[in-house]
Amino acid sequence: MAHIHLGEGSFPLWALVLWTLLGVGLIGVVVYRVRKGGIETHQIALAGIGAAASFAIFQLNIPVWGGIHMNLTGLVGILAGPLLGALIALVVNIFSAALGHGAVGLIGANTLVNASEAIVAYYAFNTLLGLDWDGFPASTSAATLGLSAGAFLMGAIIVVSGVNGSALPRGDLAIAVGGLVGLNLGVAVLEGLLTGFVVQFLASVRPDLVGLADRETPDETTGVTA
Amino acid sequence: MQRWKQYGSLAGLFTAFLAAGYWGFTATGGALPWAKRSAKALQRGTKDGGGALVDVSRGIVVAGPIRKGGLVLEFGGLVALLVVIGIGLYVYVDRYGGFEDGERPAR
Repeated sequence: MAHIHLGEGSFPLWALVLWTLLGVGLIGVVVYRVRKGGIETHQIALAGIGAAASFAIFQLNIPVWGGIHMNLTGLVGILAGPLLGALIALVVNIFSAALGHGAVGLIGANTLVNASEAIVAYYAFNTLLGLDWDGFPASTSAATLGLSAGAFLMGAIIVVSGVNGSALPRGDLAIAVGGLVGLNLGVAVLEGLLTGFVVQFLASVRPDLVGLADRETPDETTGVTA
Repeated sequence: MQRWKQYGSLAGLFTAFLAAGYWGFTATGGALPWAKRSAKALQRGTKDGGGALVDVSRGIVVAGPIRKGGLVLEFGGLVALLVVIGIGLYVYVDRYGGFEDGERPAR
């Protein structure tokens, strides 16, 4: 899903500074709110699992569509919440950049993109649950919407920044990036479905982990513990 | 909410996004150009990226556009600024006990 794969030095210096400062600002607000409000203990374990899963699936590039991969940031947002979701986006991007997947200079921009996916997915999921949706359609729709938000933000960041050395005028660049955003929307459907199945499974064995405990209390134990 | 409305909304969302995905796929040239480009990038990465993981004599590698554009000084200044801010935050948190540290136990 959405992740800027341009190399080091692709963005002008002002853009690099701008996205880095915005990323630092977002993480600063997140850390402040975490420290002020605390976090649920079970969320810490979920955040660790989510970060590991997200990082692992980050590295599985599908070369057919120009290096598109899944992020699982929608799932991370739904399970760990928007605050830990944003922190996970930062950690996963730092580790990925250390492996050469995504530029170090673009960690700020990529953190904004991936954090937006987790944040939008979390709030969309809770909004849909509030509208009395079932777990599967709510989580699938929420993850798809979150990932689409990240795709649009990624496109906007590239078009606003411009690409060093590119002969394309800004309008042509916008059209080319629009195609990439469209591709990501297509893959968002697949990742949304995957997220929906994972959340549905968790809801069947541990509904409290996904905020469905008081909605779908199982009548009998499933024999699976987590 | 009725179940058919939930899944109907989901189907509508999927239809729109899959259509956008198909458009994007064709607009960016389909699979073949990307596959060629990806293979070339992989080969180039193997060629350029070969060598020791840690090589002290290699020095610090600054990205080409920054080095060739004469922006090394600005880049260095930016790195120094971020280092100073980082150390400043560390010292601040260490000296003053963080941002109201006592009110945030994990629940």
